[in-house]
Amino acid sequence: DRQTLVAVLQFLRRSNLRESEEILRREARLLGDDLGAAALSPTGTGLLGTAGGDADSAGENALLSRVTAAATVVIGGTAAAVASSSPGVAAVAAVPPGKGVVEDQPDVSAVLSAYNQQGDPTLYEEYYSGLKHFIECSLDCHRAELSQLFYPLFVHMYLELVYNQHESEAKSFFERFHGDQECYYQDDLRVLSSLTKKEHMKGNETMLDFRTSKFVLRISRDSYQLLKRHLQEKQNNQIWNIVQEHLYIDIFDGMPRSKQQIDAMVGSLAGEAKREANKAKVFFGLLKEPEFDVPLDDEDEEGENEEGKPKKKKPKKDSVGSKSKKQDPNAPPQNRIPLPELKDSDKLDKVMNMKEAARRVRLGPECLPSICFYTFLNAYQGLTAVDITDDSSMIVGGFADSTVRVWSVTPKKLRSVKTAADLSLIDKESDDVLERIMDEKTASELKILYGHSGPVYGTSFSPDRNYLLSCSEDGTVRLWSLQTFTCLVGYKGHNYPVWDTQFSPYGYYFVSGGHDRVARLWATDHYQPLRIFAGHLADVTCTRFHPNSNYIATGSADRTVRLWDVLNGNCVRIFTGHKGPIHSLAFSPNGRFLATGATDGRVLLWDIGHGLMVGELKGHTDTIYALRFSRDGEILASGSMDNTVRLWDAVKAFEDLETDDFTTATGHINLPENSQDLLLGTYMTKSTPVVHLHFTRRNLLLAAGAYSSQ
Amino acid sequence: MEPTKMASPKSAPKDAQVMAQILKDMGITEYEPRVINQMLEFAYRYVTTILEDAKIYSSHAKKSSVDADDVRLAIQCRTDQSFTSPPPRDFLLDIARQKNQTPLPLIKPYSGPRLPPDRYCLTAPNYRLKSLQKKVSSSAGRITVPRLSVGAVSSRPSTPTLGTPSAQTVSVSTKVGTPVSLTGQRFTVQIPSSQAAVKSATPTTPTVQNVLINPSLIGPKNILITTNMVSSQNTSNESNPLKRKHEDDDDYDNL
Repeated sequence: DRQTLVAVLQFLRRSNLRESEEILRREARLLGDDLGAAALSPTGTGLLGTAGGDADSAGENALLSRVTAAATVVIGGTAAAVASSSPGVAAVAAVPPGKGVVEDQPDVSAVLSAYNQQGDPTLYEEYYSGLKHFIECSLDCHRAELSQLFYPLFVHMYLELVYNQHESEAKSFFERFHGDQECYYQDDLRVLSSLTKKEHMKGNETMLDFRTSKFVLRISRDSYQLLKRHLQEKQNNQIWNIVQEHLYIDIFDGMPRSKQQIDAMVGSLAGEAKREANKAKVFFGLLKEPEFDVPLDDEDEEGENEEGKPKKKKPKKDSVGSKSKKQDPNAPPQNRIPLPELKDSDKLDKVMNMKEAARRVRLGPECLPSICFYTFLNAYQGLTAVDITDDSSMIVGGFADSTVRVWSVTPKKLRSVKTAADLSLIDKESDDVLERIMDEKTASELKILYGHSGPVYGTSFSPDRNYLLSCSEDGTVRLWSLQTFTCLVGYKGHNYPVWDTQFSPYGYYFVSGGHDRVARLWATDHYQPLRIFAGHLADVTCTRFHPNSNYIATGSADRTVRLWDVLNGNCVRIFTGHKGPIHSLAFSPNGRFLATGATDGRVLLWDIGHGLMVGELKGHTDTIYALRFSRDGEILASGSMDNTVRLWDAVKAFEDLETDDFTTATGHINLPENSQDLLLGTYMTKSTPVVHLHFTRRNLLLAAGAYSSQ
Repeated sequence: MEPTKMASPKSAPKDAQVMAQILKDMGITEYEPRVINQMLEFAYRYVTTILEDAKIYSSHAKKSSVDADDVRLAIQCRTDQSFTSPPPRDFLLDIARQKNQTPLPLIKPYSGPRLPPDRYCLTAPNYRLKSLQKKVSSSAGRITVPRLSVGAVSSRPSTPTLGTPSAQTVSVSTKVGTPVSLTGQRFTVQIPSSQAAVKSATPTTPTVQNVLINPSLIGPKNILITTNMVSSQNTSNESNPLKRKHEDDDDYDNL
């Protein structure tokens, strides 16, 4: 280490970077006392902050974090930090960045380059084919597990060659081995094939994240021993180094997994999920609803129940018909996150809801729902988002021409509130004041809302039907009032396209996810987000609230689904298994299960409590954009680009789950091949991809899509 | 438009063929034919911008010709300007950690529509209307309000009432203190906001509602009269609201 430090200082002196040399000298003396990595990271992040606005910052940060990750390069870390500040010093002049020059110096390149040269680049092909040969000759039971190594090793070796500017070797390496990879990695490989120079990697945040994060593999102990023994033989030491640096091998004791089991779980950009990532406790139960009698005459009986009780949400000890007085152990405490109080209009709404629920159709394999399809005509492929209110009274469409259009589904037209002058004239004491405030002159079936400056990719009604959210490619989320049909607020935070947004089931909070790879939690009365959920490697394409509003599920283009805790922003679950970007998520009404749909045409079912995949529904042939559980969770409906709506039996899919300790400890899953049994019906549209699904309160299924003529 | 296969290669120029090959290499198989034109335009524009920038840099460094370093610098500067990429991961994790440490704020009950402070909302009016007042001739009581200097006439009706600047210039030029007797014609009184700057905007906003109808009333026969609000504005202001009520009624009648 001392030697490398001296080498770096020499180099700096040679290149006349006096100040950098001084800084390094000073830091080296400081760090000489305390060689812990802990001391390094504050300095690292401190310099990171200063170099943040730098032109090279993307590359530098990757460089820095890569180097700090390795234990031996404490000094290398400071040197790299210095190298990042020296481009800042010599920015404008046409001097190549420090790291480019450094790599020519053989004595320091091993320390300062982001990818250590693991031996001769021309021998990479030898190393790889050697490993391939070994794995193919191993025992069957181990082969499937060890084959997981191919893809990450291939990508990392290729990126290393590109980064160190061995373009021709990289190309021939790619040519020779890219055909061996699994079919579900083909999209990634195509992106990789276009990255042939180091400059191409700058600005591609997903690739940079891939380089700096560790690819997780889950291998049984026996297979791992086999691999380790083979790689630690002398000639294969290079690959062993690469494995140690870039891969995280999660070892479990037990039977090696079969190819089928592995295939079900792999596919994401970061490998699988570590077992401890899915061990945190998740409160998946529902919050207690306040008790109401379904009154015969509305107002009076409610008043009796709640007289003298200021806190409406406390479970009433003497309430009639309250079934479980005990707290559900899986439900979060009522005040875990602050939720808005119930207003009178909300209570009326709930009463309506309960009345409708009493008339709800019980669905099942013998009693399938009727489907009512709303086709958007003349949209010319411009329909990008649809939402329907909970009571199915309004439907909103977000379009590529940046408009948001609201229609009334019922015969009752959409009216806006009267102007201030007229409002002062009405009789405020009359019973039907809520009708009187509406201006009849503005009644119409359709209201168009203008304001965005880019296609609208997500829309969401608030549960009380007063507000509408829309998010767009212009990076803002807009809140519209459905009483005046004007825009109230524009929430700016994402500076990149926002792909999805949703109101919380209790209103007040909403979540948005976009191209900047984070999801944000907002409240309508704060102009900045309350929580930032960062961790995905690629765009966040889909965001949904859990029914108890304490958790948020995000699906991403890195093919993982993550569950985040609203209270502290932690990621509590990572679900891998999809082979394409995820476009739809649906929580079951009881809060225990999550269904996800992606571009690979599969619907995967997850048990949130245990963190395991419990089902796979195959049948669709194209991206699934819509998923919805029926009101009591008996049927799962899925709508896709292949112009079909399919109904699946959710009760059967979730019954008799094997949740013995063996399964949860090792994460082995044994998915039954029962997609055909679970499929209850396939309904084809003429040529309309299904964009949205919604079960009314009486379990009628509404579907929406735009007619596309091919 | 339906996506069709690309145009037959033999009729397309070489650049277009290259672009079609690039699209194929990137795995894009279905695209509208105009996409190639758009991509070619973009490529042309990008390259020329970079080369122009590189020329500037090389002349600044007093070099005789443009070399690779100039081009590299030009690319770097343009990337930071136009093709920004989202923030890097560790930065995001850092700010996420900071943001997520603060507890969720408690919700105040019974606070009406929960919106951010007005500064961050889009609910403020983004226009300021002049209140146009209709005067039905006769009553002498009204004439006691000292106002009237006749201003520009014919060109005004065509401009919308948002034409504040022109109104102000007119009023300045005709700032004659002499009251002019009213003719029997109908005319509208315009209170320019220049006199009392922005502050008068707020007293005039209550009258905004009636003004909403008035723009349609600006016909050729109306003479717009600008008021000279020098001294008597304060007194006239208090008396005005009362008087305006009557005028509004007349306006409704005359619609």
